[in-house]
Amino acid sequence: MISSRKQSGHHKVVDLTPMIDVVFQLIIFFMLTSHLGELRRTEVDLPVQPGQEQRDGQDAAMIIDIGPDGVYMVESVEVNLNEIHRLASAGIGNEVDPENFDVLIRPDRNAPAVYLDRVLNKLAGVGVTRWKLGTMAPDGNGGG
Amino acid sequence: MARRRFERSSHLGALPLTSMIDVVFLLLVYFLVTANFAQQERDLSSSVQAEGGGVRVSELQPQIVEIVLVDGVVEFRIASRWAGSQESLTAILKSLPKEPGVAIRAGRDVPIRAVAAAMQASQDAGFSRRSYVPADE
Repeated sequence: MISSRKQSGHHKVVDLTPMIDVVFQLIIFFMLTSHLGELRRTEVDLPVQPGQEQRDGQDAAMIIDIGPDGVYMVESVEVNLNEIHRLASAGIGNEVDPENFDVLIRPDRNAPAVYLDRVLNKLAGVGVTRWKLGTMAPDGNGGG
Repeated sequence: MARRRFERSSHLGALPLTSMIDVVFLLLVYFLVTANFAQQERDLSSSVQAEGGGVRVSELQPQIVEIVLVDGVVEFRIASRWAGSQESLTAILKSLPKEPGVAIRAGRDVPIRAVAAAMQASQDAGFSRRSYVPADE
């Protein structure tokens, strides 16, 4: 009897603090990882124009960043024009309708247009017909 | 009675606030961090038009916006008219017929922000058919 009373007394002093800590840490982890799609984009000084609002959760099939010195990046990895050509042709090959292959180009606002022309010529060569130019809202709400 | 009240107040006084403060600060840090990351980008949509291909030149000729650099200053040219700013380009484009669409072409050294300005102006002017003509190498 005495030992069972001792046992129940022992259960009453279970410390919930670490469990609450862990639960909240897990909540924060899952909330942060749900934003990883946005974190994937590298920081670029985009042209400042109101443009159109991007649809939430609907990333373009291919996102190409253009640096001020003409460096191209796809998924934060530096690539050359031939690799862009290969990636775009592979991507467009996976689409039932090539018109649905959506390319978002995020250029540095001060980069010369020749870098944009080069990448668009490559994309047009594989059958890309539609593209979007990434911009930043003038009020500073846009990302960069 | 008095003893029970004392017990209750002492129990309340022993609430472990440390973990709650930890959690509140973690949430605060989380919202500060995500407020920076959750910036919304915008975009300007366009079709890509290979130079000389697809659409006949005669269809595009009156509606081509040429972006050139004159003494380091960006200038937008539409046929014989020209504009020195995005606002004046928008005003010119508003006076043009919308059915044929508009094509934008830029010189090699023109900054991409001027291309974005021309695309924005054509969108603001009400053109639903917008294309960009990349220059050949």
